[in-house]
Amino acid sequence: MQRIHSLYLHVPFCTWVCKYCDFNAYAVLEGLIPPYVDALAREIELAGAELPIGPLDSVFVGGGTPSLLTSAQLHQLLDRVRGIGLAPAAEITLEANPSNVTSEHIAGWLEAGVNRISIGVQSLQPDALRFLERLHSGTDAIAAIRTAGAGGFSNINADLLYGVPGVNLARWLESLEAVLAERVQHLSAYELTVESKTRLGQEVRTGLVRMPGDDEQLAQYWAAAERLETSGYEHYEISNWSLPGFACRHNLAAWHYRPYLGCGAGAHSMFRRTGGSTDRRWNVNGPQAYIRQVLASGNALAGSETLSAERALGEAAMTGVRLLQGTTSTDAFPLQRRQLVAAGLLMESDGTARLTRRGVELANQVGAAFLG
Amino acid sequence: MPDKLGRMSTPTKLTRAISVIAHVDHGKTTLSDRLLEYTGTVAPRDMVEQVLDQLELERERGITIKAQAVRMLYKADDGQTYQINLIDTPGHVDFSYEVSRALAACDGAVLVVDASQGIEAQTLANVHQALEHNLKIVPVVNKIDLPQANPELVREEIEKVIGLPAESVIFASARQGIGTKEILEAVVREVPPPTGDPMAPLRALIFDAKFDPYRGVVTYVRVLEGTLLKGVRAQMMQTGKSFEVDEVGIFRPERTPVDDLSAGEVGYLIANIRNVRDSRVGDTVTDAARPASAPLPGYRHVTPMVFAGLFPTDSDQYQQLKEALEKLQLNDAALVYEPETSAALGFGFRCGFLGLLHMEIVQERLEREFNLTLLGTAPTVEYRVTLRDGTEIPVDNPDHLPNPAEIESISEPMVLATIVVPSIYVGNMMQLSQERRGQYLNTVYEPGDRVVLTYRMPLAEIIHDYYDQLKSRSKGYASLDYELVGFEEASLVKLDVLVAGSPIDALSMIVERGKAQQQGRRLAEKLKTLIPRQLFEVPIQAAIGGKIVARETVPAMRKDVTAKCYGGDVTRKRKLLEKQKEGKKRLKRVGNVEIPQEAFMAVLSLD
Repeated sequence: MQRIHSLYLHVPFCTWVCKYCDFNAYAVLEGLIPPYVDALAREIELAGAELPIGPLDSVFVGGGTPSLLTSAQLHQLLDRVRGIGLAPAAEITLEANPSNVTSEHIAGWLEAGVNRISIGVQSLQPDALRFLERLHSGTDAIAAIRTAGAGGFSNINADLLYGVPGVNLARWLESLEAVLAERVQHLSAYELTVESKTRLGQEVRTGLVRMPGDDEQLAQYWAAAERLETSGYEHYEISNWSLPGFACRHNLAAWHYRPYLGCGAGAHSMFRRTGGSTDRRWNVNGPQAYIRQVLASGNALAGSETLSAERALGEAAMTGVRLLQGTTSTDAFPLQRRQLVAAGLLMESDGTARLTRRGVELANQVGAAFLG
Repeated sequence: MPDKLGRMSTPTKLTRAISVIAHVDHGKTTLSDRLLEYTGTVAPRDMVEQVLDQLELERERGITIKAQAVRMLYKADDGQTYQINLIDTPGHVDFSYEVSRALAACDGAVLVVDASQGIEAQTLANVHQALEHNLKIVPVVNKIDLPQANPELVREEIEKVIGLPAESVIFASARQGIGTKEILEAVVREVPPPTGDPMAPLRALIFDAKFDPYRGVVTYVRVLEGTLLKGVRAQMMQTGKSFEVDEVGIFRPERTPVDDLSAGEVGYLIANIRNVRDSRVGDTVTDAARPASAPLPGYRHVTPMVFAGLFPTDSDQYQQLKEALEKLQLNDAALVYEPETSAALGFGFRCGFLGLLHMEIVQERLEREFNLTLLGTAPTVEYRVTLRDGTEIPVDNPDHLPNPAEIESISEPMVLATIVVPSIYVGNMMQLSQERRGQYLNTVYEPGDRVVLTYRMPLAEIIHDYYDQLKSRSKGYASLDYELVGFEEASLVKLDVLVAGSPIDALSMIVERGKAQQQGRRLAEKLKTLIPRQLFEVPIQAAIGGKIVARETVPAMRKDVTAKCYGGDVTRKRKLLEKQKEGKKRLKRVGNVEIPQEAFMAVLSLD
């Protein structure tokens, strides 16, 4: 099995589960966090002992809202991670809600070993934040970025959402502009996606909410891309931009189809077998079930699948093409590649393939071409 | 005394042969099951619901496709044990010829009428057929236990419409077993015993045939005269072919060999016949050594009424489709096919069917039993085209219609359609039938607020969604029966469809000249909604004789991109894309465009 150098930790708690969210997240249950952290620490320890893992190049603590953890809890977890072994200058990211970003927290996070912070700004428009059910204000979000910077973080990401009902192109660009003014090192801009099982999905189905059309969403996307590029940000993945050298190493590893271990409720892991096949496995979703299962058996496995070497190549190409600087992941599919080039979705240069503008808009169609 | 199989020793006067006839869904098969149970032919614990419907599809759809026959022994109130041969007939208009042959093999018929639905079109058609065969009718009002049942009214209807005395009507609930004994008593009392002479030269009527992979064709017969013995050389009087009889037997309901079948008895013969075509429904079996002088009357060569192309969506499956059709045809004499090549769909087969249900069943069986993925084109009728040089050619594929300059005239098959409907829907039915080029013939008001309308109309209109429309415009109350009555000249043109600039031969249709333009517009609009967005814009055009009469455009796919692709998202997305891709296998790639099956059926419902 290929050695693992990436670790994801999931913290499935939120103060409030926003109506568009379909992540594995639960409104925080009093008293559940401490036993959860204990279970998570135990899973990390056992998995670390069992698997060919480390030294770790990247650790990503995501959620949910991991910034709900106390510094001590975070410390507890990262101590276990250090037990696995961290590479020098490993990237350690923590996702944070703007409401939790205080100078005390910042100091504690840095102290625990976090060196990259990803702030869920989403929008600066009051209407949009209300629509999205975010509990913070635009001012809070900007303040959070500043606090993090002032507290010593020099690798900050801001998450933004575009295509929010009621936010037109001009107002979307206003939000973007204000975030750029803070000179964040990294920016993720995600289209607000309607997931059928969410409350937003329900509202769209019943006609209560009307989502912007494809043209409007793409207009907002490309306008942002253009704006970011002129500010020196590299568009390195469909929804991700960074200043040179600040691409998220943890996510890059996954898009490059390198193995990672995921710990925590609902976390997914991906392992690469010698011979080219891929194992994917995932944990139980519910935090209580997760705690119970880890205590009983040391892991919380809920399911797994193995992809043959051939299917794994297809999956690698499907994820690889999302990297906009060019990928060799499609090399195993010369025929499909030629067809996609002919269809104007892919272009080739220097032996790599990358999505054209139209290819970005239809990335799923491109990805599907590599699947059996 | 009969032995336990009821063989031979039953004197002819204690033998009965009956059929159960009914409009579809009136409970014919359930009633048959009750008769089998009551007579102990099938023990209740062995009773699979609907014993007589043997095809998996028949059970699922709750319909009978093939006729079945079974021998029951019934100890009547008079102390005698009767041998009752029950022939279960198909219940759909597509198979009306099979019904008529099954009836010809009987001396009586149990007529089942639903206590809440009353008399419907097929009830009348069946009764007429039964009377044509001089069958004694035992009328039964079924489903009397249902809350909406009105047995008294239906009884009155039976008396007034069919002319059977009200007091002869038996009330029953097949589901609850009510009336079963009364029906059996009426059968032995009312239905006459057979009159054929067991010593006369053999004449046995074939009313069904089934292919058994181990034994060859099992031929279902009723011996009307003479005696059918194992070992004789059976001669088919219509086809002239003869076969050594290896086995004769009866159905209990499973096949049970006997030494012989004599006049009046129903059973089967096995004679190393390899194809049901050599054992045609309606043919007469005689003894080659001592042949009868004339065959039994009423034989008709069954001809298909509707035609459609069947193409494998994956062209690699052509050979498998060919073999599957060969196998299916062994058991289905009504199915005909020949190779067809479509510029759009590749290699496939042009198939002829008895009707739409038959077509659906064949396609479903091919897909299910032979694991094929098929694309069927819209069904069409067979036109007769007279060319300028005087020759007449049949055209069962719209794309094969000759150039208009060569055509002198086109005739199309006509049917006599009988619609039975409550009076408040008469207006709707008339309007619909007129829209469908129906020529009004007659209205008869029957008791029970029932109106019988007759129209002469093109078969092509019937297969184009007419039945569904009939049902929807009568809230489900109308029923339909039709029979072919000949050909009639009509003003018809070919409507072509071009997708992305290329003509799609499989979408061509033959339409009435006056409606052609409107139909073309509707077809283009409909196709626009059925053809999924592709990577590029797809123009759809309808043309008559090279002139474009309608144009629509399927816009190119605008956006298909997942914003977030982390961790578990990868698996989710891959599975979604794989599923979409699987779904695409049901689409047929024509040039660059992927067209779903529904698009090829779009021509059927343009109203």
